[in-house]
Amino acid sequence: MSHIHLPDGVISPVWWITAWIICITLLWLFARKLQGDELRRKTPIAGVIGALMLIFMSLPLGFIPVHLSLAVLSGILAGPGLGLIAAFAVNTVLALMGHGGFTTIGINTLLMGGEAVLGYYLFKAASGRIGAVISAITANIIALTLSTALMIVIVSSAAGLTQALPIHSHDDHGQAQHGQAHIDEGQYTEDKGSEQSIENVQFLSLAGWSAVTLVILAGIFIESLVTGLIVRFFSRVRPDLLDSAVKG
Amino acid sequence: MHIAAIDYMANNGDSFLHQARPVTKVFISFLFLVCLIISSQIGKALVLLVIPIILILLSGVNLREVLHLAAYPLVFSLIFALIRMQQSWILGMLVLIKALGAALNMLLLLATTPYTDLFGVFSYVLPGVIVDVFLFTYRSLFILLDKLENMVKSIRLRGGFHPMKLLFNLKNAAGALGVMTIHAFDMSERMYRIYSLRGYKGKIPVTRDWWPLRLVDGLLLLFSLIVLTGVLIPWNI
Repeated sequence: MSHIHLPDGVISPVWWITAWIICITLLWLFARKLQGDELRRKTPIAGVIGALMLIFMSLPLGFIPVHLSLAVLSGILAGPGLGLIAAFAVNTVLALMGHGGFTTIGINTLLMGGEAVLGYYLFKAASGRIGAVISAITANIIALTLSTALMIVIVSSAAGLTQALPIHSHDDHGQAQHGQAHIDEGQYTEDKGSEQSIENVQFLSLAGWSAVTLVILAGIFIESLVTGLIVRFFSRVRPDLLDSAVKG
Repeated sequence: MHIAAIDYMANNGDSFLHQARPVTKVFISFLFLVCLIISSQIGKALVLLVIPIILILLSGVNLREVLHLAAYPLVFSLIFALIRMQQSWILGMLVLIKALGAALNMLLLLATTPYTDLFGVFSYVLPGVIVDVFLFTYRSLFILLDKLENMVKSIRLRGGFHPMKLLFNLKNAAGALGVMTIHAFDMSERMYRIYSLRGYKGKIPVTRDWWPLRLVDGLLLLFSLIVLTGVLIPWNI
């Protein structure tokens, strides 16, 4: 859900280089943990989880302009380490296909892998108390909300999204002359000032943000619902697949 | 998914780019990517956009397929371009050109290099287990896509899809995805057994032919260095 498809050249190098360093460090730590038979057994699992994530992403959701990633489900099924490794593989394949930048693989992996890691631990903590399906839905909602919030913070601070926010000063554009003109026009009365404030609110932009919020909420709702339904299916047909997360 | 078409082009092409060493292609792709990222002039960025287009035309890969895939990053970058356009239209255009240029670079690389060769180059810098995950992901993807296609056909034939019943569709889709996930896990178990029998110890051997470089490699490297120099020099014409 939080896969942002940030293209190359949008995010400042400080952000993507830092994300790459954190991502490679985490991958190296998780990869180092896998040894012997566990390594032989779990590497194909991470591979198929990656393939499944790519397929889930390719499924259209009709009129809603988001796609599933089922990263939380992947985390629940494969565990946090493999979930992160699979997210890295997915983002690299997507970047090679021009779907998201190569420089932003680190950020995208941290966001998507973060969902898998967080989802796994939330599901593990809750499944003993409130049942697998509700736990999966709850874990999904929390993980997706947090990763989406993080994504918005990153994009806002890195890509200058403040420019698109409904209320911002014209000086934000760096148009010193334009700002000066407002001052030179003379004294504003209190009424004129409030009219100006109302004009400053970009209603089109506000509507745009409302639409974005609605789309994000719809995406989180659908992904959580599908995850819950799949977990329900597993708990009936193959409960052993959930064992690693339920029993630890 | 267009991944099958791209894979076909990479494995069946016979152009000079297909014949170049994978390591050369990866090197020049990343060099062009760096050039695009650091270029702040629209003229330079445009040249860097035209270069992969020319190389795509020369390499004989299906331009339509590549442009179709390149349209996605263009659409996604449009949001950022519109935001930047509030500052200046040049900044907005730069975002679009950089996104499209970078995507075309990556697509050119993928369409002219078989994935095993590509991941072989990655194995110079990534741990073996990660490269194996790439290989397993790529291999599983095609098998699972086939399964999904059959499953979707079955669902439609049995009346499991109604355009107006969203919850009904979601329930059936979740069931289908669940079945596919179970298939995938069974498949991974089979892969584990097969690879264990063949002596897999956590690192699939991949070919990494990079020496000796051929004439085409030399020419591509020379060309990429000229482009890098052109980007770094502040032209005042």
